[in-house]
Amino acid sequence: MNLLDFARGPALEWSFAIFLFGVLWRLLGILLLRRVHDYSEPRAHRAALGALQAIVRRTWPRKEFRARTTYGLAISYVFHVGLAIVVFGFVPHILLIRSLLGVSWPGLPGAVIYFSAVVTLAALVMALIRRLTHPVLKLLSNFDDYFSWAVTIAPLVTGLLAVAHYGGRYENLLAVHILSVELLFIWFPFGKLMHAVLFVLARGQTGVVYGRRGAST
Amino acid sequence: MSSDIDTLHPLDIEGTRLTVKKPALRYDRQGDMSDDRRVEAAMRAFVREFGATSAAYLESCIHCGMCAEACHYYVQTNDPRYTPVRKLEPFKQAYKRESGPFAFFYRMFNLKPRVTVDELQQWQELIYDSCTMCGRCTLICPMGIDIAHLVGQARHGMFQAGLVPHELWAVAERAEREGSPLGATPKVFKDRIDWLSDEHGVEISVDREVADVLVSMSSVEIMKYPLAIVATARVLNALGEKWTIRLDGYEATNFGMLSGNAQWQKDLSMKIINAAIKCKAKLLLLPECGHAYGAMRWDGANMYGKPLPFEVLHVSEYLARNLGNGRLKVKNLPKSVTFHDPCQIARRGGATQAPRQVLGKLGVELREMSPSGDVNWCCGGGGGVVTIHRADDLRYKVFQIKMKQVDESGAEMLVMSCSNCRLTFDDGQAHFKWDKTAHSLLELVADNLVQ
Amino acid sequence: MSKDDSLGESLRKQGISRRAFMKFCAATASVLALPPGMATVMAAALSRARRPSVIYLSYQECTGCGESLTRSFSPTLESLIFNAMSLDYYETLQAAAGTAAEAARKTAMKENWGKYLLVVDGAVPVGNDGVYCTIAGESAVDILTEAAKGAAAVVSVGTCAAFGGIPHANPNPTGAVAVSQIVRDKPVVNVSGCPPVPEVITGVLAHYLTFGSIPELDHLGRPKVFFGETIHDRCYRRPFYDQGKFAKTFDDEGARNGWCLYELGCKGPVTYNACATVKWNQGTSYPIESGHGCLGCSEPDFWDKGSFYQALSTGTWSGATVLGVAAVAGAAIGVGAAVVSRRRQAHLDNEKQPKEKQP
Repeated sequence: MNLLDFARGPALEWSFAIFLFGVLWRLLGILLLRRVHDYSEPRAHRAALGALQAIVRRTWPRKEFRARTTYGLAISYVFHVGLAIVVFGFVPHILLIRSLLGVSWPGLPGAVIYFSAVVTLAALVMALIRRLTHPVLKLLSNFDDYFSWAVTIAPLVTGLLAVAHYGGRYENLLAVHILSVELLFIWFPFGKLMHAVLFVLARGQTGVVYGRRGAST
Repeated sequence: MSSDIDTLHPLDIEGTRLTVKKPALRYDRQGDMSDDRRVEAAMRAFVREFGATSAAYLESCIHCGMCAEACHYYVQTNDPRYTPVRKLEPFKQAYKRESGPFAFFYRMFNLKPRVTVDELQQWQELIYDSCTMCGRCTLICPMGIDIAHLVGQARHGMFQAGLVPHELWAVAERAEREGSPLGATPKVFKDRIDWLSDEHGVEISVDREVADVLVSMSSVEIMKYPLAIVATARVLNALGEKWTIRLDGYEATNFGMLSGNAQWQKDLSMKIINAAIKCKAKLLLLPECGHAYGAMRWDGANMYGKPLPFEVLHVSEYLARNLGNGRLKVKNLPKSVTFHDPCQIARRGGATQAPRQVLGKLGVELREMSPSGDVNWCCGGGGGVVTIHRADDLRYKVFQIKMKQVDESGAEMLVMSCSNCRLTFDDGQAHFKWDKTAHSLLELVADNLVQ
Repeated sequence: MSKDDSLGESLRKQGISRRAFMKFCAATASVLALPPGMATVMAAALSRARRPSVIYLSYQECTGCGESLTRSFSPTLESLIFNAMSLDYYETLQAAAGTAAEAARKTAMKENWGKYLLVVDGAVPVGNDGVYCTIAGESAVDILTEAAKGAAAVVSVGTCAAFGGIPHANPNPTGAVAVSQIVRDKPVVNVSGCPPVPEVITGVLAHYLTFGSIPELDHLGRPKVFFGETIHDRCYRRPFYDQGKFAKTFDDEGARNGWCLYELGCKGPVTYNACATVKWNQGTSYPIESGHGCLGCSEPDFWDKGSFYQALSTGTWSGATVLGVAAVAGAAIGVGAAVVSRRRQAHLDNEKQPKEKQP
């Protein structure tokens, strides 16, 4: 078995297994903790709407906060959108998703993908520089932040090297790329990357509370 | 014992704001527990807080630092220590180590070390002095984490560890013991009512057996802004309500909540709830006090353990309702007004529009601050911060945001619906020799009633 | 024709002109990607060279490689066999049979000990002492071991000989292995492919004849000159890959337009071979040109890498068991963690406030 076969076979399978294992562990470990019933009389019976509003609206900042948050948010937006384009727009990735979930959609031309990847890479580097220099971020950051950054940028770098055939034989570059994604999958449930799932919970909860109160979510 | 505390923490009734006199020697550690016991007590209290809701919040922080940009303490000082989510660090640490899904590993490999008493002491300033629980951070958080709510929970552990700022602990203790944090005992209150009734020729109903509306008051109003009592009576009398004030349950402020003692919070809330039930009130009217609104409107039923058998309204909501349905009439007030939204009533309470409807009926020209409403800046005095002497410098720093906002609005009159905010404004006005005076929305309405 | 004749002599005896010989050398040099000047060098070398003896052994194979070899057009098999080398043993083509055939092999080995070129196609079964493939009562592994001893070099023709190929595929009941697993002390050139491109086979032989040495090899023992680039890199459909234009089925618009076959399972990106450049059937086409994706036949274990029609970027799964077990285990531990936390809380709720121990 060569490296690529290992990456496409057992490593892929085990990384997904660990991903699934960890996500369920963490999610159930949170969701099944005790809940306190709220007996207060709601101002508005729009808990569900509030949850939905918060989940959707927290995606962009209120205009009142924009002045102070635009730079950081722009970086985050660029790399989130860029990652989405690369992950969900590149045909080989779509084929993997199709083979796993049975759903697919049309892919984007290679040039768009490569451009997005390079822009995303730049945004991630800027995010790191910001994290290393901004006093607030410097103070907040821990191992999780830096490691999650590394496992996020790694597939991007290895993927670009693979499409450029730079740094080794293609099948090895591809294998390393797949392995780097697998590392991301393995780390996902145990670090901050889990926010991709947890944001729904946290925003939803606040949405429910504020929705009941008739306050702005 | 009580006289001891009174000597140790005498109230300062004469100052611009109400609190205990500036202590010569601070007692920011209560009791004589050993350090280990303090940590243990804090941990026990923390662990009891960790439900599914707080867990989801504590798990989803991505360390983006955006909350700092919403916090008046960070914005005014640029000191990263004031980043809201960082104020939760020991709480978060305890969660990860004791209750989270991976707690076992955090303990086994000591990935999150045990919280130390030094850390807790360091965080006292962050959790109390530099957080008004105004919830702007909650509003900016891209993950939707209710940081303000978590700070409230973290205060529970701090109280159990006996690590509450001197003044806040003193007033909370007094509230639990005397029924009022600021000396507004039933006797003092009754004297005030009698005097006000005579002085202003207004009938103030006290201790009615049965009433439709139970009126509660904030001790800030009783001691500092007694005209609020007169104004409330005028409005209710004008409406012909069958109302009363009861001496067995009138204090709406809840320093049990602000200091972090859940039991005291419950004791204080239950006094009013029981009084309302006793007089078969259909409506509990809350005074112009922000945290009193949160404590009763949203936490009251949870203290009671079931839905409250009466409606709870902030006085601004009550005014908006009765001005709206025409039962109450006011004269036109040809002035420009800017309105300061109390955080607990607007942003965290949902009653943002009520005061605007009232001001609309008064026919004033409303000049909104920027930003206003749900995103309004906090006065800097909420969450018990206004009582803490050592937090004064910081409080004045953040108050400057407010001054700028008010000045920029260009309004002739500054109005708000929270006596605690008003206290903070009055103190800030005196400190900065500012030309703007804070006014009460309720008093504005009462002064312009059409009989 | 005497075996001792040099190649030049034998050509002259057969009336092959100098012009025709130069043409052959030029063609071979071109296939081998040698500089044009090398044709002359090659001609000089070849005309002086003595015709080497070649022994061609066939084991677990389908004769596809032999079929392929006979379709070589430049240099033609005929010219190689009859002009350039002395093919002394090849079951498929030789006239002799039975004892005579084996005798021919033994004689050739004896007369050319240490100098002959050994060509092998087919995998070698080593399971059960090699009983799964025997010739004249001798097992393949024994014949190969013996024949390899006297060989100057070994050429493994086809993926079976080079990497074990289909006989080696899961579950490999005969214990089939590649030639290089058995012959470890002689240079082995792997000319993989199922079958290999004919010109690649003859090109390697011509190289050996010209230079008396084997060409430069890659890490899998394949001549770099033919196996240096992937099918994908040299594919004429590559622009469609870059544009994201893919055939979704074998009969859709994309397929008719000649779009990239990646989605239909083409293994071109990870397959090193000369198909896209040398092509097949006298340069007519290669599989992708005929509308089918590359199977990756020149790579080790190509038969065991999942479906030929499964896109390269998809994974291979052993089944749902591992995922199922992981999900159940994760859920169980998650529930367990929550239960432990809740019990600690319940315990604290029931307990009175901690009392300070008096010293």
